[in-house]
Formats: sequence, C-alpha cells, structure tokens
Amino acid sequence: MPIYAPSLPPRPVLDQGLPPALVIARFDIRRVLSQRMGRFFGFMFVVSLLIQLTMLYVKYLLNTNAALSGIKDFANQVLTQGPEFHASILTMSGWLTSLLWFQVALVGGGLVARDSLYRIRPLMYAHPVRPIDYLAAKGLFAAGLPFVILLPFVFLPWGISLLIAGLSGPVSLWAPLYLLPAALIIALIMGAVTLGASSLAASPRAGFGWVLGISLGSSAIGGLLSGLLHQPIWMAISPQALVGAWPDLLCRVADPKLNWLPTVIGTFAHLVLWTFVAARRTRPSEAVL
Amino acid sequence: MIAFQDLEVRYGDVVALKNLSLDLEDGIIGLLGPNGSGKSTLLKTLLGLLTPAKGVGQVLGVGLGSPDAARLRARIGYMPEYDALIEDVSAFEQVAFWGELSGLPADAARDRAHEVLYFVGLDESRYRHVSGYSTGMRQRVKLAQALVHSPELVFMDEPTNGLDPEGRKRMLDLVLKVRAELGTGVILASHLLEDVERCADQLVILDKGELKAAGSMAGLRKLLAKRFELRFLDLLSLEQEARLPELGRVLDNRHGLYDLELHHPDPVEPFRWAQKIGAVLVQLTPRHDRLDEVLIRALHGDIATTKGGN
Repeated sequence: MPIYAPSLPPRPVLDQGLPPALVIARFDIRRVLSQRMGRFFGFMFVVSLLIQLTMLYVKYLLNTNAALSGIKDFANQVLTQGPEFHASILTMSGWLTSLLWFQVALVGGGLVARDSLYRIRPLMYAHPVRPIDYLAAKGLFAAGLPFVILLPFVFLPWGISLLIAGLSGPVSLWAPLYLLPAALIIALIMGAVTLGASSLAASPRAGFGWVLGISLGSSAIGGLLSGLLHQPIWMAISPQALVGAWPDLLCRVADPKLNWLPTVIGTFAHLVLWTFVAARRTRPSEAVL
Repeated sequence: MIAFQDLEVRYGDVVALKNLSLDLEDGIIGLLGPNGSGKSTLLKTLLGLLTPAKGVGQVLGVGLGSPDAARLRARIGYMPEYDALIEDVSAFEQVAFWGELSGLPADAARDRAHEVLYFVGLDESRYRHVSGYSTGMRQRVKLAQALVHSPELVFMDEPTNGLDPEGRKRMLDLVLKVRAELGTGVILASHLLEDVERCADQLVILDKGELKAAGSMAGLRKLLAKRFELRFLDLLSLEQEARLPELGRVLDNRHGLYDLELHHPDPVEPFRWAQKIGAVLVQLTPRHDRLDEVLIRALHGDIATTKGGN
C-alpha cells in the first residue's frame, strides 16, 4: 500500500490535460464498457456481423460453385442484389438499424439525463467546462458509438469480399465510398435524437423512453400521414425512415422509399432541432447550483 | 481575494443581487442568509457562470464576466450542497475525473486523486462505488473533488449538511485543515451559524439579494460590544425613562431590565448618566451576542454594513 504525506504536495501544473470534451466523452465510454449492457450489445452486433459475412460467402459460392447452380436462380430472388445488396450491408433489412436504435436508446438515453438526475452538470460547469464542451462531449459519444459499431459492417464485408474474390466479389471495390458517408449520417441522426431526447428526460429510464418514443412515434405519424395523403415524403419526419433512406440513396437503389429532397430536408431538420433542444436544456442557467 | 462594487445580477426582470459592494480578504469567509437570499447567485457569479448586469469586480485578480472565466474556474474548487456524485463509479475514479476536467493530465490526476482522498480521510474505501457510502463519506468525496486540483479558493456549500455531530466535527476540522495546511481561501455558505462561527474569520450576510452585513467576525462582535443590560435600584419614572435615548438605543425593557445599545462603549458613561438623572445603577452587564442574534439583527436591518473592516 502506498504511503502518502499527511498533507497535500504542491499542485501539479494545470492546462496540460486533454480538452474537457474528450475527458467527458472518455469517462462516459468507460462507464458504458464497464456495464453488462455493453457486453450484451457487443454480442448481438458480433452475431449480426457473422450473419452478414455468412450471407456474403453464400453469395460468393453461388457465383463460383457450379454445384450450386441449381439453386442460384431461387437464391438470387431471395437475396438482395446489386445496389440493394450494398445498402443492406448497413441496414440488414432494418434489423441492424433497429438494433442500433435500441442500443442508442438504452445506452444514450441516460447520457444527459443521468447528469440531470444526479446534478452532475452544474458541477461540471463549476470546472473549466463550457456548455459547448459538454454538448460536444455528449454529441461525440452519442454519434460516435453507432458510427464505431457500423465501421466493421462497412469494412469487414468489403475486405473479405476482396480477399476471397478480388474485384469480381459480391461487394464493389467502391462500396466504402458510399457506405462510410451513409454510416456517418446514420450516426449523426441517431446521435442528435439521442442527445435531444436524453436532455428532455429527468432520468436514464425516461431517456430510454424518450428516444424510443421519438423514433417509433414519429415513424407511426409519418406512416399514417403518408398512407392517408398517399405521399411517401411524409415518412421523412421519422428519423427511423431517414436512417434507412440514406444507404438506399447513396448506393443508388433504383426505387428508394424516400427521395433525395425530403431525406436531406428531414435529416437537416432533425439535426438542427435536437441539437437546439439539447443546447437549450444544458445551459448553465438550467444547471442550478 | 474577492472584490466587487455595485454588483447587480438579474434573471430577466428579477433582480437577484442588488448593488453589492464587498472587499473580502484571504481567509475563511462565512456566507450566511436564508433561502432565496442570493447566496447561490453570488457563487455562480463568482464562478463566472453569470454575467453581472451592472457593477465591476474581480475574483483572484480576474475580472467578473471576463472571457477568462473558464480559466478562472481551474483556480477555484466547488463543493456543492447537493450530492452531485456519480453513483456507479468509485470515489477514486470520479475524483480523478474531476481533476482531469480541471486541466490535470490523466496520470497526474490519478496520483492527485489518491493523495486528496487520503487527505480527507477516505483511505482504502476510495476504491468502492460511491453508492455504498455513508453521508459523511459522500461529503468527503465532494470535498476531495473540490480540492483535487489544489485550487486557490474553495466554495463550500453547506458542507455539514446531513451529518451527525461527530461527522460534523470532522468536516469542520477538515475545513480548518484546508485553510491551515493548504493555505486555500474558503467561502463557507451555511445556514448553521455555529459552523460559520467556528470556522470563519469574515462574515457576509445576504437577504433578498441585498448585503445586510459584512466584515470580520471580530469587527462584528466589536460592533455588538456596545450592547448592555441595565438595572436600576428603583424603577425609573416615566420622565427618567424618556431620557434613556440620551444614553443609547433601547432595544428591550423587561420589568426594569433595560437592553440598550449604548452610543459609546465606555462603561463609565451609564453611571454618570444615572447620577445626572438621580437614579442608582446597580447592574451593567455586557451582552455577548451569539452569531444567530447577529444574523437575526442583520436581517432586520439593525446592523450597519461594515465593508470588510474591523
């Protein structure tokens, strides 16, 4: 056991540490990693990735193995092809994005709400932390988490496709050029919604409810309006639909559910709205000492 | 250490602090006042979180409302009244976190966290999650996070809140230790007057955003040293009683026992006055006011502001 002096030694030099935003984001990441929730989602994403890679290998076999030519036509009808296949790498027909939404709601719902509940934020502002640092830290975590999770989905199928089949593999050589921006935009949408929803909540549990409520509720309203008015553009009010639309658009799917204009406007509106909400809700004046 | 003039802070149309002027020297400063008196607003303003609508001032040489407010906060420690603890993390981890937020490199913050937790008396328990801590231990974690970066000035908001007598004594000993061993300036906001009386060497009393009294504890007591209880051999006649204001301000009269604030602190004066009006003074007792009486009188406007002086 180390032995310490009865009083404190002289102060070490300040101003040599990391920027406050990085310190807060790193602390949040460590907390999540130490929780069982992180392990559960880690397992689920690894399983999803393995399924993705298995499907990729099946596609490769279908194209190269003559013994499977009998089921090739049927398999091609079942499995997505071309741009749809590339877009599905990030969405897995909605499974992956739904899992991501559930994860950001569960992990990110408490991101700001926990600080509100335990009144950590006012104490942060009593340190050399500006509101912009706080917001940047939380935003970095909220958007960074889904982005980091999506990165293996962008690069592993692409790398393995190149490895086993070269340029003629099922995944295009240029796929990361489309998938990486799509992953980034998906992460930004999820991050903004999580940040805004969590700042509205008074506890992590309420934050989870807010994130799911916003993503599912807006999807329900969007679906209802587009059905009633026979105009699919109304789906653009749903962040869930926007998350699904970006891979389709960037991979140039022939008949996307949402076109460019409503997707761009909807994405921009969500990013601005939820960032604004979060900024308003995390001002020092909201943080009563 | 802290000085400001004509400070006014507003929340929209509501004036939270009105024309405060103070000059506080290095030491332990007791900040007293009822709820809503403006204590928290004053602390927020001193931390640079609120910009004054009017007035000028400085904390540790940095002007209030200046762009350097964030850097100033690295030189100040703040121990909040409420818990503000991260429950699912050990005391060591969170004190190191607060150290890093104050600008310490990660390794230095971890070393410092060990040292400061030892300083406040949380030895091996520093590795346990805070959720299992007693109230006294939680208060000490809060103090540790306020001291981890060795600030020049610490704001302590109700540091003895919820503590039993033993825990309270230990906390007040720590407050005195912080001042004596580290030389750190302390602003001790409390509603427990005995705590302030025990630790503080300067006192500021606020009410409804206004300064009611300020000065050194010794100075305030000196001001109150003019208070005496007087009893005469026979009850004073109405004419004699009417002349009492010549001697001082009559605060109370309980069946011939007069509570007076004398115009002059010279104790011979009442005897001379009694002789002059033909009465015999048989009791002259100085009243040693407790701090709670000082507070109550200050809130009723019976004590004039003594700006930083003795």
